[in-house]
Amino acid sequence: MGSLTDMTPDTAFTYELGWIPVSPRLAVARRISLALVYLIVIAVVVALVLIPGVPTWVPVLVAAIAVVIFIWLWWLIGRRVRSFGYAERGDDLLVTSGILFRRLVIVPYGRMQLVDVQAGPIDRWLGVTTVQLHTAAATTDASIPGLVPDVAVELRDRLARRGEERSTGL
Amino acid sequence: MSNAQQPSPIGDDLGLGLTLPGDSPSDALGRRHVHPITPIVHGVSVVPVIVLLVVASGGGVLAAFGWGIVPITVLAVVVVGLAVTGWSYLAWRNLWYWFDDDGDFRVDSGVLTRKQRRLQLSRLQAVDVAQPLFARLFSMAEVSIEVAGSGDSRVKLRYLKLAQARSLRNEVLARAAGLAGDVEEAPESALATVPTRDLAVSLVMRTATAGLLLLTVAIFVFTVLSEGWGGLPLVLITGGVPILVVASEFMRYFRFTVSQSPDGLRLRFGLARTETRTVPPGRVQAIEFVEPLLWRRWNWVRVRINIAGVGGESNGNQKEETLLIPVAPLPVAISLVHRLMPGLDLDALDWHPAPERSRRRAFIQWRRLAVAWDDSVLATRSGRFTRRLSVIPHVRTQSVRVTQGPWERMLDLATMHADSTPGPVSVKALHLDAHYAREVADEQVARARQARGSDTTTHWAKPQDHPDI
Repeated sequence: MGSLTDMTPDTAFTYELGWIPVSPRLAVARRISLALVYLIVIAVVVALVLIPGVPTWVPVLVAAIAVVIFIWLWWLIGRRVRSFGYAERGDDLLVTSGILFRRLVIVPYGRMQLVDVQAGPIDRWLGVTTVQLHTAAATTDASIPGLVPDVAVELRDRLARRGEERSTGL
Repeated sequence: MSNAQQPSPIGDDLGLGLTLPGDSPSDALGRRHVHPITPIVHGVSVVPVIVLLVVASGGGVLAAFGWGIVPITVLAVVVVGLAVTGWSYLAWRNLWYWFDDDGDFRVDSGVLTRKQRRLQLSRLQAVDVAQPLFARLFSMAEVSIEVAGSGDSRVKLRYLKLAQARSLRNEVLARAAGLAGDVEEAPESALATVPTRDLAVSLVMRTATAGLLLLTVAIFVFTVLSEGWGGLPLVLITGGVPILVVASEFMRYFRFTVSQSPDGLRLRFGLARTETRTVPPGRVQAIEFVEPLLWRRWNWVRVRINIAGVGGESNGNQKEETLLIPVAPLPVAISLVHRLMPGLDLDALDWHPAPERSRRRAFIQWRRLAVAWDDSVLATRSGRFTRRLSVIPHVRTQSVRVTQGPWERMLDLATMHADSTPGPVSVKALHLDAHYAREVADEQVARARQARGSDTTTHWAKPQDHPDI
C-alpha cells in the first residue's frame, strides 16, 4: 500500500490492498522522451538568437518559459509514474493512475478480448514494457506502462489464461 | 422461398418490375460472386464526381480551355470510368462468399492483397439489407453482416438481387440461431411506425435545432430592422446547418417501422435509401431514452441503442446514431424496450441521487443526476433540458471505471462508468460521492460477474444443450 506514495490510503481510488507499482525506470524513459522534444525547443531558441533583428529579450523570455515548463513536466512525470498501480483480484484486474485526472478501471478477466505487450525503442533500451488490455468497449482504457519485460510477459500470459477460463460472448 | 406467394417485408423495391440481366454466378464448391452489375455501377458512379469537380473548379478551367472543356470532361469521365470499372471487375472476380462446413460464413476478397475472412455466426450481432435509390429501381440490395469482434468485423456484400439478399439474410440468421441452413423467412408483426408528421415535428423541436432556428429568426429580424444586412451571411449558417440536419435525418428515418419476428427485432427506415436492420434477441448492449425539453408536451422520447459492430468509431468514415426509434410516445417506447430487455421496470428502480454539493460542479443538471440498479440492469440519468436515461444490462457490462477530474476532486466527487461497446449510448453516473462511486463500481463488477454466469442468449433458437460458446 505504501508503495503508491502519492495517495493517501483512504482515497476512493486506492482502498484495494496489494497495489503493485510500476518500475521507476518508466520515469527515466519518459524524461528522455521529454528531453528529446526539448531539442526542438533549444533549436528554436538558437534560431531566435541567430536571426538578425530579433531583440535579445525574445530568446531569453522563450528560454525562461521553456525552462520553467521543463522543470514542471520533469516533476510531473515523477508523480504520474508513481501514481500508476495495478492489482489482480480473483476475477478481475484493477488499474489506477492519474494526478489531475484520476481513474480506476476494473476489467473482468472474462471480458478481455486481447492483451497487447508493446515497447518503443527508448522503452526497450531501458527495459520497460506496456501491457494493454482490450475489451469490446473502446472506452475501457486499461494500460499498464512501465513493467519489467519479464513481468509484462508473465502478466500477459496469466491474464490470457484467466481470460480463456472465464470467456463469455458479448 | 415463400416470397413468391407473399411479398417479403425485407427490402423495399419500387415494384417497377425492372430487372437487370445476369445472375450471381456460383462455382462447383457452392461459392458465390455478387451480381456482375457491380463493377459497372462503380464505374458509372465516377461520372457525377468528375462533373462536380469540373463545375466546382468553375471559371478557371473554362477560361483556360474555353468550350474545349466539354470534350475534356467527357474524355476524363470515360478514362476514369473505365479504369474504375476494370479495377472493380477484378475485385468482383476475386470476391467469393459461401457457408463452410462448420456453419461459418466465409468471404474471400482482394485484388493485390488477398483477404480471407471467416465470420463466426454464433457471434452475429446484426444483419442489414440496404437499398440505395438506384438499387430500388432495379430490385437490387446490399447486405451487411456484423459479428462481434474487434477491428474489421463487418462484411458488406453489394450488389445482390433483392431475392438473393433476402435468402442470404435468412440463412445467416437461421445459422446464427443454431438452426440448419435452409429455412423460410420468419413472419413478422409490426409493433410501431413513426408518423411522418411526428418525425418532422420532433426533428425541428430538438433543443439545439429549435434554438438555432430561433436564433436565425432573431438575427434576421434584427438585421432587417437595423438595415445593416451584415447579419445575412450569418443567417445562412445558423439557419442552414439545422435545416440540413433536419432534412437528412428526415430522409434517413422516414417511415421508421419496428416489427417483431422470431429472428429478432426488425427496423425499417429510409426515404430514398431504405434499410432493413435485424437485431437478434439479446444483442442490444445498452439503451438510452432521450427527451428534449420541447418534446415533453407530447411525452415523446427517442430511444438510442448500442449494437456491437454497428455505429462505433471503428466503423469507417461516419459515426452512426443507431436508434430503436427516432420518436415515440413514452409508453410505446417502453413497450419496445421490453422486447429487448424483458422484465425491465423503470418505475421500480430505486434511484440514488448525486449529493447536493454536486450542484457546484453541474449547476443545471445536478438535481437529475442519479444511479439505480436492480437484479438485471444498471441505469443512470442526467440532463435538465434534454433528459437522458441510460440502461445497461449487467451481463453486457464490459468493464467498470471510476474517474475524477480536478474540479470533482475539490468537491470529493467522482463519476462511475459502466463501459459498453462503441455506440451512441454511454452509461455513466456523474458526480457521485467519491467513495460511493467506488462502492457502486465494485458492486457493479460483482453483479456483472453473476449475470455472466447465467447468460443464455448466444444461440437463441436452440435448446440449451451446452451453456455457452
